[in-house]
Amino acid sequence: MTRQDDGTPLLAIKNLQTHFATADGLVKAVDGVSFSIRNGATLGVVGESGCGKSVTALSVMRLIERPGRVVGGEILFDGKNLVDLPDDEMREVRGNAISMIFQEPMTSLNPVFTCGSQIAEAISTHGGITGDEAHKRAIEMLTQVGIPDAARRAGEYPHQLSGGMRQRVMIAMALSTNPDLLIADEPTTALDVTIQAQILELMKALRERNRMAIMLITHDLGVIAEMADDVVVMYAGKVVEQSDILTVYEHPHHPYTHGLLASIPRLGEKRERLEVIKGVVPNPLNLPAGCLFRRRCPNAMPICEVAPPLQEIAPGHLSRCWLTPAGDPPSVGEAPGTDAALVAAAALSVEQ
Amino acid sequence: MASYILRRLLQAIPIVIGISVVSFLIVHLTPGSPVDKFRTPRVSPETINNLIRLYGLDQPLPTQFVKWFTHFWTFPFDNSAWGYSFTDGLPVRDKIFARIPSTLWLTGVSLLVTVIIAVPIGVLQAIRQYSWSDKIITTFETIGYAMPTFWLGLMLKQTFSVQLNLFPLFGENSFGKNGDILDLLWHLALPVTTLAIIQIAGWSRYMRASMLEVLRQDYIRTARSKGLTERSVVFKHALRNALIPIVTLLGLTVPALLSGAAITETVFSWPGLGWLSVQAVTDRDYPVVLATVMIGGVMVILGNLLADIAYAVVDPRITY
Repeated sequence: MTRQDDGTPLLAIKNLQTHFATADGLVKAVDGVSFSIRNGATLGVVGESGCGKSVTALSVMRLIERPGRVVGGEILFDGKNLVDLPDDEMREVRGNAISMIFQEPMTSLNPVFTCGSQIAEAISTHGGITGDEAHKRAIEMLTQVGIPDAARRAGEYPHQLSGGMRQRVMIAMALSTNPDLLIADEPTTALDVTIQAQILELMKALRERNRMAIMLITHDLGVIAEMADDVVVMYAGKVVEQSDILTVYEHPHHPYTHGLLASIPRLGEKRERLEVIKGVVPNPLNLPAGCLFRRRCPNAMPICEVAPPLQEIAPGHLSRCWLTPAGDPPSVGEAPGTDAALVAAAALSVEQ
Repeated sequence: MASYILRRLLQAIPIVIGISVVSFLIVHLTPGSPVDKFRTPRVSPETINNLIRLYGLDQPLPTQFVKWFTHFWTFPFDNSAWGYSFTDGLPVRDKIFARIPSTLWLTGVSLLVTVIIAVPIGVLQAIRQYSWSDKIITTFETIGYAMPTFWLGLMLKQTFSVQLNLFPLFGENSFGKNGDILDLLWHLALPVTTLAIIQIAGWSRYMRASMLEVLRQDYIRTARSKGLTERSVVFKHALRNALIPIVTLLGLTVPALLSGAAITETVFSWPGLGWLSVQAVTDRDYPVVLATVMIGGVMVILGNLLADIAYAVVDPRITY
């Protein structure tokens, strides 16, 4: 499927809320996330483990398992709201218009079926071709993702392939239905560095050829720099910064983004130890009031006791931080949506 | 594969010798003697001594063992290979071979019934984990697993034979109806139900656990992400993997198929190997006890080998 670009985004997530009712309490894994992906563009979603990036992706695929549930928001894709789509219509989207590949190529393929048959299954589920034809198409797909001797490999079981090969098989399976959107959840994290680069190159090449959009989830800003057009930075279930790739790298606004960028080791730079963001992610069962990042934030101010909204600090550049667009602490009057008295009281309590 | 099987069979030889020594010692060192039941005031000590000599029990244990063990393996050609029964003087081999069909009917049919019922129950429980149906079935499984076989058998007889008069009380054939398959199945109903209820309780737990383990694997999420129907995800991708340990379990059940279900056979007077061995133990009928124990031991070894072979057949990751 190729569609005309009429300006509406391919995927628009609006105020998505995915909660997990665990025995210990409610975990708001995704809490009011909004972003959109343009046709053919690549959006990078970055954040630490547990920030909700994978849950966001699984929410789009409607693969959230109990006790998790999408409790609010919309996921608009191709004019349909995926959140309340009937199961059988959702199955038509899943693996067809939207495909997904996962972090663990070692365990993501079924060990008792051959690679070829697993790809052919995806094709025959959506493509209307079955049997030998689907199998032939599966071998074609394996060739496309750069697997040598594809016909023989198609007859092999996953355990006979290396991790990089298996991820190629996963990509072949995901792309066998020509999806408009590929969701890649840390596709290279489990792979050797050299294989990582190969897989990224492959994804780039296939993106050009198939003109598909990619939602690339990773904690690796290097991967984002390599692949993405736009970036969403997530922290504790919320979007904290969002813009195009250049802005995030050249003018990051949120202190968390600063921290992420500072923690990338650079070649040719002599440093005794890596920069780290101090502290740990807050306990999702007991999130603090106010800005969720303030306890780890080098710029924390009294006003951070009040949760900052996600606001546009420059055209197309959103940040969830009280710092002014220039990166300065706001004066009391500038803090939008807050009561000066509350800010003063907060300031007092911090001083004590 | 062939060399693997050969190697395993060679490895089995010392194990079989070990089993023989241990079972021979246990049988002979157990208190009581085959001639005890003849010791009444009216039987002279001389007669008793003659009997002991006749059975060869006067010879040293090592001599008895070597004689028995070397003779034992000639059974394909010699019907006296396993000795003669102390109770009726018949060749033990023929006594045992005559019982095998009855035992296989009972254990085979009950295993078949068990698998056919337990696998779907386990799958159903796994896909609805912690639901009301899962919890209720779990309760029944626990009760079934805890229930003594003899008690369940007696209760079924009391209800369905004595009170409702639907099924026969004991035996495998009505008088004069030997070889009548419908009559046999009618007699099988209660003993098979007894065995199956208790086996289903265990097997469905295995199946549930195996299925739950598989359902949380990454490849199940992959299958869903392809847009497959839930039926295809569960019954193709998950079940095929969840059955692998069950197949292994089947291999390990083979010895039980032949050694019979001693308690159930005794409760229902089912003329199988299990009942025979219980009687033999009570009578201190050494040759029969030893033969049934040896069959059991060899079957355990073969069953394990069979389980390993079956494993390689159903799981492409295993090769020998």
